[in-house]
Amino acid sequence: MAILRRPPRIQPRADYAIAASDLGVRYDLRFTKKTTIRSSFAQMVGRGHAEQFWALRHMDLRVQRGESLAVIGPNGAGKSTLLQVLAGIIRPSEGAVDVLGHVSGLLTLGAGFDKELTGRDNILLGGAFLGLDDAVTRELLPSIIEYAELGDFIDAPLRTYSAGMRARLGFSIATAVDPDILLLDEVLATGDANFRAKSKARVIEIVAAAKAVVLVTHDMNWVTEYCNRAILIERGVMVLEGEPADVVELHRVHTEEARARATEAAQAAGVDPRIVHIR
Amino acid sequence: MPLGEVVPFRPMSATSEVPAAFRNAAGDRGAIRLVREGIADIRSRRRLVRYLVQADIRKRGADTLLGNIWWVLDPLLQMVVYVVFLSIVVRNGPPDYPLFIFAAILPWKWFSASITDATTSIVRHDQLIKQIQFPKLVLPVAATSAGIVSFAFGTVALVILMLFYSSHFSPYLAFIPVIAAVQFVFTLACAFLVAAGNVFFRDLGNVVGHVLRLWWFLSPGLYSLATLEQVPLFQDNPALVTIAKMNPFAIMFEAYRVVIYGTPTSPPAAPDFASLATLLVASLGFLALTTIVFKRLEPNFAKVV
Repeated sequence: MAILRRPPRIQPRADYAIAASDLGVRYDLRFTKKTTIRSSFAQMVGRGHAEQFWALRHMDLRVQRGESLAVIGPNGAGKSTLLQVLAGIIRPSEGAVDVLGHVSGLLTLGAGFDKELTGRDNILLGGAFLGLDDAVTRELLPSIIEYAELGDFIDAPLRTYSAGMRARLGFSIATAVDPDILLLDEVLATGDANFRAKSKARVIEIVAAAKAVVLVTHDMNWVTEYCNRAILIERGVMVLEGEPADVVELHRVHTEEARARATEAAQAAGVDPRIVHIR
Repeated sequence: MPLGEVVPFRPMSATSEVPAAFRNAAGDRGAIRLVREGIADIRSRRRLVRYLVQADIRKRGADTLLGNIWWVLDPLLQMVVYVVFLSIVVRNGPPDYPLFIFAAILPWKWFSASITDATTSIVRHDQLIKQIQFPKLVLPVAATSAGIVSFAFGTVALVILMLFYSSHFSPYLAFIPVIAAVQFVFTLACAFLVAAGNVFFRDLGNVVGHVLRLWWFLSPGLYSLATLEQVPLFQDNPALVTIAKMNPFAIMFEAYRVVIYGTPTSPPAAPDFASLATLLVASLGFLALTTIVFKRLEPNFAKVV
């Protein structure tokens, strides 16, 4: 048996909601590809090679109570992975996370709980998945239904819902439990303008109630307007942490640089960058 | 209740309700701790298991012509298939052969359906696993528990069949739940194993299907252990007989059959409690083992599904 290493301890103090130290998440590409028994045998006898990939590394992060932290960065930078770690869905491969309070997360929104069940049953099932007491869920039921603005659809199976309706239902469930820490992944972009305004108001309300919010978004206006801090993640590493305006600016510069590099590379290869080849 | 009000969640500890193991890279937990965690997982989410089972039953009942009647018809029809087939191949089987094999078909359908369902129970909920943290053990538990309901419906079929073979009717039928309890423990242990395994090997479902079929024909369902012992191959190799008797389903089928049917020459009687008790103890040990395996692999599910 391996010698148990003592986990890095973070002193619990009341002044923060989330504290992460030297966080790292490693993916074993051996398993993330849809593995079959045959390919595993192939690896065991030496053909094929195991690859490892750090989706996130050396992340030190502290979120204070009442803070709204924006996580920005290009696609595949590790933003969603960070949220999954904070929600306790993925175990860090390195380092530790300390979270004070109840976390409610809306990571990839719109999946729902069970497509065959009605909206009402989905709320009850969702509450059970989230670990809510049934009495609490039943008590919350009317307000969730009202907030989601689903009307008579609440008693129709989820598969008949539009993407927007599912998003609304998911948002209502996640925020109805009144979490201490709310994790949002690209959810502000869903729903119609009306609901977007409403969800914005709700998120602001949670932040105001001295609750912490961590959100992943590509909506830079939201970042500068409603977040009091931002971090930029690129290739699994935190590049900058600070004032939203500064971080957004750096992200913009990096994005433009990347675009310029891509154009240059295309020109060097003798390809007109304006022609897009669709394979 | 207005949305702004604070809702009491579970007793809020200093940290969150997510198990510490999900927060920390270091510290794999000991075996006993994992088993205790597993028990706590299920106990704390009993309602979730119930909802999942209810949803499953509702889904299977809806959108079909005969609804839940299928659960009664299914084992009966399967029995008819075997009776027709075997009356061609084997001419002189035991008397009241339909009841003889039905005593095995009924529990086997529960087992095979539960295992097949459990195999995909984790990967089916991939979206959910990536979205929220919850004890994944509830998924195979729900798959196995849903099987109890169809087993209960299957006993309706047994009652119908008993009307035709009323000479076999006896108070020993009351032992069926006892045997079923042992079977449940064994099924649960197997369910944990295939559910976790299928996350990492997606073609496990194919393997499971074939293993189940082979297991059924190697178990004394369509024949009795006594018949097996008369086969020349088994007469020459007494070791094979010992192995055949150690098959969990040999013990269970014989137990079900002795209370439902009896033997070809004698009326129903009490099951062999010694072997049932041995099987129960072994199954509990197996269950503890597969719980440990499951809990060890659980932190990786969200990355892999």
